[in-house]
Amino acid sequence: MKRYEVIVIGAGPAGLSAAIEAASHGMKVVVYDENDRPGGQLFKQIHKFFGSREHKAMQRGFRIGEDLLAEADRLGVSVELNSTVMGFFGNKEVTVLQGDRIEHVRGNYIIIATGASENALAFPGWTLPGVVGAGAAQTLMNIHGVRPGKKILMVGSGNVGVVVGYQLIQAGCELVGVVDAAPRISGYGVHAAKIARTGVPFYLSHTIKEALGKDKVEAVVIAAVDERWQVIEGSKKTIEADTVCLAVGLSPMAQLAKMAGCEMQDIPARGGLIPIHKEDRETSVPGIFVAGDVAGIEEASSAMIQGRIAGATIARDQGYLPEDLYQDRFQYYKNSLSQIHQGMFGPDRKGKLDIMETDEGCPLCESLLTQGYLADVGLQFYPGIPGEERRRKGIVAVVECTQNIPCDPCQDACPKGCIIVDGSIAHIPTFTEKEPCTGCGLCVSACPGQAIFLVDETFAPGEATVTIPYEMEPTPEPGYRGLALDRSGSVLGEAEILSVRKSKAMDKTVLLTMKVPLEWSMKARYFRV
Amino acid sequence: MDSKIRIEEQDSFLSKPGDDLIICRCEEITKGEIRRAVHDGMRTMNEVKRYLRAGMGLCQGQTCSKLVRDIIAAELQIRREEVAITLPRSPVRPVPMGAYANDGTVRK
Repeated sequence: MKRYEVIVIGAGPAGLSAAIEAASHGMKVVVYDENDRPGGQLFKQIHKFFGSREHKAMQRGFRIGEDLLAEADRLGVSVELNSTVMGFFGNKEVTVLQGDRIEHVRGNYIIIATGASENALAFPGWTLPGVVGAGAAQTLMNIHGVRPGKKILMVGSGNVGVVVGYQLIQAGCELVGVVDAAPRISGYGVHAAKIARTGVPFYLSHTIKEALGKDKVEAVVIAAVDERWQVIEGSKKTIEADTVCLAVGLSPMAQLAKMAGCEMQDIPARGGLIPIHKEDRETSVPGIFVAGDVAGIEEASSAMIQGRIAGATIARDQGYLPEDLYQDRFQYYKNSLSQIHQGMFGPDRKGKLDIMETDEGCPLCESLLTQGYLADVGLQFYPGIPGEERRRKGIVAVVECTQNIPCDPCQDACPKGCIIVDGSIAHIPTFTEKEPCTGCGLCVSACPGQAIFLVDETFAPGEATVTIPYEMEPTPEPGYRGLALDRSGSVLGEAEILSVRKSKAMDKTVLLTMKVPLEWSMKARYFRV
Repeated sequence: MDSKIRIEEQDSFLSKPGDDLIICRCEEITKGEIRRAVHDGMRTMNEVKRYLRAGMGLCQGQTCSKLVRDIIAAELQIRREEVAITLPRSPVRPVPMGAYANDGTVRK
């Protein structure tokens, strides 16, 4: 039987980070993954990540995945693919299915980083072809280049739903709506806004009643629900669709941890049954550690830090990392984790419907929470949105970021220091011009939430320009006349593209500048080709 | 709140609308079959699994477990967390018989 110092189960962001950390201190690590490619969920994440620089903010998920793999390789970590850990036995022995053989291996330390699986929602017609998990649809689109369907209803407004929803639009699908039984959109407002401005309706306090069709989905029936999740009479609505994406939550795949004898706890807010673990990631069984979604649903940034903590702790336990250096590392990682736990969507505040204000005391925009777009009135409450007086002076950045989410790349992006995210990275950005805004647009492309725009109300008498971040195909050429849409996706009218800016620094986010009547300067936020 | 007494106090199993909804896709087990199993005395995930094969198909319960647990909980009028779950056993993924046959043999 083979014996390893460290066995990591799962080559996703948590597993690879754990392996990298342990290997960086000199340990010999093997990582097993059941898939034929490593990286877990990272490679299908084509959007820019949030957080701060240390959390790899602004990098697209798949790029982070590539970097992790390269570093693991450089450190001599052995990543074995098509290797399914199928059993966990006493004395930290695991059985690994590789092809037609079963390997028996033992580890001094084992890190379980097996991630999570998508939840299902059962309703009449859910077994028809066309009903897929949102994560599955994302894999189909972003890894295999196949559209899941043409007309798609997204069920679930959490981050998975709204992020995948936007990617479906990018892939050329028609997103016919986003449905959620809750009264508020549970994902980031900026993600919802990206979708709403293209014209997609949000149906909050609605549920899917049925998927209709003979051999595949042909239409969906949705209905409104009251506070007790009871269907409201007469509220049924039938929408033509060929695909239903279910984004109704994730559940930790913690079977191996339970099999290993780890003490488990059922915590609905964390996704279900999770292995109890200390801050240093060790479970109730000495030598068995957990990191990533398997220990509680969060996201990739948390997974990576948790993996690092597990790797460092093991290195310290085995004598590779001196205690004082370990403590420094641990505190650094712990602090990093607490930063991304801040804000309105943090693990301890998620789902709380009674939050009415931001931490700074700005009112939370109701229409952003229920319909996915910022209302035209009330913009003056947000410190990132310059007022009329400033706008009349010349080009200016308009930062439409109105909820506390841990994210601050805008601050780093501006070469003039115009955007400040003060104190905690979850604070709402403030537009304060240290030096005058030059309209370079770096902030527009840097914002992972596509929530920053350039507005020039001095372009010409009665005319303004609005520069938007654009990540759709095809990209229009200057001179092209299309339609300007407002935040709700309603057509304002015709608009002409004046310029199309691309650069390597902008990493595939194109800056589209359109000419609009002055009255639309604070309304036009999307361009339809 | 004794779930055993509650079940016995009810009439014999009554069909409800929605009972024909498939819950375990791999084994094609309906909501009605699961509810009837609870009435037959199956109160835990383990019992329902062994009685109906719910969770024993290709996905090993990855799709249906939460749904089955909710149905049991609703039938017993208890919270989902109070329904005892199955103990995962090796193998957690389907394994070809050939792999088991090769286990313990020397690699050629």
